[in-house]
Amino acid sequence: MNMKKIYLSGILLFLISLSSNAESLTQLEGSFKTGPAIILIATLVTFVLVGVFFRAKDPADYYAAGRKISRVGSGMAIASNWMSAASVLGMAGMMYGFGYNGLAYVVGWTGGYVLLLILMAAQIRKYGKYTAPDFIGDRYYSRDLRIVSAIFTILISFAYCVGQFGGIGLMFKWILGLNYTWAVIIGSSVVLLYTLISGMIGATKNMQIQYVIIVVSFLVPIFIMAFKFDYFWLVPQIGYGAAVTDIVQGIPAPNISEGASLLNAYGHDFSIVPSPEFAMPWDPSTGTTFFQWVAICFSLMVGTAGLPHVIQRFYVVPKVSDARWSVVWGLFFICLVYWTAPAYSTFGKILSANPEVGRLATDAIVVYTAQLGGVNSLIVGLLAAGAISAAFSTVAGLLVAGASAFSHDLYVRVINPTSTPKSQLRVARIGTIIMAVLVTVVALMKLGLIAQLVSVAFSMAACTIFPLFLLGIWWSGSNRAGAKAGLAAGILVTTISLTYYIVGLSGGSLPGQEFISYWLNVWYFAWIGAPLAIIANIIVSLLTTPTPLEIKKFLAEQVHN
Amino acid sequence: MESTDQFNFSIFRPRNLHGRKNRNVIFSMLIIWTLAVFGFQFLLRVIQEPRAENSLIRFETAWPSALKGDIAPDDARTLLATMIHVKGKNIVKPADQELLNSAISNIMYGNIPDTIKTQITSLLTDTRKLKSELATAKDQEYLDIKSEISGRSQKLISLFEPYSGFSPGSLEATILINSLKEDYPQRLADESLTRLPVVMKLYLTHNQSKLTDTKFLGFPFHYFYTAVFLLILFVTLCIIYNVLIEWRLKKEGIVE
Repeated sequence: MNMKKIYLSGILLFLISLSSNAESLTQLEGSFKTGPAIILIATLVTFVLVGVFFRAKDPADYYAAGRKISRVGSGMAIASNWMSAASVLGMAGMMYGFGYNGLAYVVGWTGGYVLLLILMAAQIRKYGKYTAPDFIGDRYYSRDLRIVSAIFTILISFAYCVGQFGGIGLMFKWILGLNYTWAVIIGSSVVLLYTLISGMIGATKNMQIQYVIIVVSFLVPIFIMAFKFDYFWLVPQIGYGAAVTDIVQGIPAPNISEGASLLNAYGHDFSIVPSPEFAMPWDPSTGTTFFQWVAICFSLMVGTAGLPHVIQRFYVVPKVSDARWSVVWGLFFICLVYWTAPAYSTFGKILSANPEVGRLATDAIVVYTAQLGGVNSLIVGLLAAGAISAAFSTVAGLLVAGASAFSHDLYVRVINPTSTPKSQLRVARIGTIIMAVLVTVVALMKLGLIAQLVSVAFSMAACTIFPLFLLGIWWSGSNRAGAKAGLAAGILVTTISLTYYIVGLSGGSLPGQEFISYWLNVWYFAWIGAPLAIIANIIVSLLTTPTPLEIKKFLAEQVHN
Repeated sequence: MESTDQFNFSIFRPRNLHGRKNRNVIFSMLIIWTLAVFGFQFLLRVIQEPRAENSLIRFETAWPSALKGDIAPDDARTLLATMIHVKGKNIVKPADQELLNSAISNIMYGNIPDTIKTQITSLLTDTRKLKSELATAKDQEYLDIKSEISGRSQKLISLFEPYSGFSPGSLEATILINSLKEDYPQRLADESLTRLPVVMKLYLTHNQSKLTDTKFLGFPFHYFYTAVFLLILFVTLCIIYNVLIEWRLKKEGIVE
């Protein structure tokens, strides 16, 4: 307890000492920012200490700890686990860069929870397995499927992490004033260290604290900016609507309100030329189409209901009804941030309209908006720390999930069944380090925007894991052969999409390059991949040996009775 | 002996009354969810019509004189204003920006006397140099350079004002001086003359309809529906589903 008091006093002293340089953040990037750096360190140290104070004694306690928390607490854990750099940074960036098309990410990443609730949550809890490969291996009575799903759990975690590392790199670049390469390397090292120290300790308590930090740091600047720029600030999630209309119609300069010009941090007027492309659907100038909106939205929704680290949350709630209500609370907490993200892109659009502001990194627009909006530098620093916290909490969960799939589902089950717990732990740690290094290498390639990179993971999950869960729960006729066929179809679509994407990136061209790059784009190939995997599963299941009696009986009596 | 068929079930063929009611709730939720999310977007797509901004109409009126190579001062101002409008949108692709910069420079320099051209190009060169220094500058040095750039920009804006019609302090004036090139073309290439109307049309035409024109709580209605209402609907659907399921479980005396 004394340690906690000393630590809190330390943070307070830091904040007081920082107030002197609170107004020095007029440079968007390129300089070392002392205040935000210390806030970031304080935040990370808090997470590690919370992990130590609320340490789980063993893996069983780690899982059981989840079974002691309330529905609201579980909802916070779901929200924290869910919200990553893609939610906090990427979504606003997509709307800033692609207008209405960016809203497909907002809808896709929330609408999927409805599917998750009505089709999965309670049934997964009733089935009673702890991990996605566990469920798939057991339901389809297949060691092979367990191995393949474990490999895909690792690949999905990998793809998800790439976007997160990119976001961490951008924020470290902003705070430390380094170039992107060094920022990613340093950020990745810190997140790896953080994961190795706190990966399995006090996770649930940490998730609740992380959620509070993310939501407070994300909401406060928007209240300030809505107030400052004369919009309805009491509920800025509604108040920014007038700003959207202002962007469509244009705001002439100088804009005078109560005798004073509204200015951004550089002293430019709060003005913008009429820009309907920001709000109008699938505007031609953004290079996006109606099909892409629908395909992205669908892929993200279905992917949400197939992500292993999301599905896993429902195994650890006390009761079946808690699994259902934790989705509601989780979704509500997620929506608090998702209602706010478009407001950042809206204010960001106006505040960066003056050409003297220069080109801004789309993925860092949330932080730049707060900075251009003249929000106090400590609050901007907290916002950046919140974004990094979101990425850290998700990365820690993903690296642990990937490493567990490797050590638990592949190493123990396939490579070395007689391994000791100590050697399993060593393998998990080595797996975590290897994965972090590989993710760093890919993140340095800057393959796309954060939200786009993360959406690859969603499409992969939608094509592989989702059909197995959906049919495994809702159709007793889905059998091992059908599952293998469905998985093969999903993997085929995934491979085609990724191959064409990589070839396109390297400047090459394959037959039908343009056609595949549009219709099977790597950001949204699940629009066709997921339905194909389901159809293949159904057809092959109908043509082959039926599901064994004990599986049907278990499903009928335990899951659907 | 138990038969395999005895335990067959699917979401379409539940095993008992409870299952059938559960299925009906799930399907009702899925239908509402699908119609609300995708139905609305399809509606938006069906009723949309490409609508030009005023700037495009003005541009197309003045453009024929530019093609003839004989631009009247009024037309020059119109073309300048409409191209500045497009240039001010910060989604313009680099290649299109380059084209617009050339066209804006061509028209602007064609309208000013030679006596102040040298002064302008000198100021522009200085500004470009300062901007390149900005990339590596830090802290106070950064702020000093910013201030110098701002000073030069104000001078340029004042020099251009009589010919562009953009008053100092206006956003258009700032966009103008950020678009001007020192090595401007005396005459636009044929390819540029062909591409410019296409570029203008691309950035000044938008998919609009009654749903985008209607305002709700300050938002364009379609934007409110997608960004705010759908999320409220998702949370509400989840709450209704849970309440319904628990009410039925209680009514039927089922303990999960």
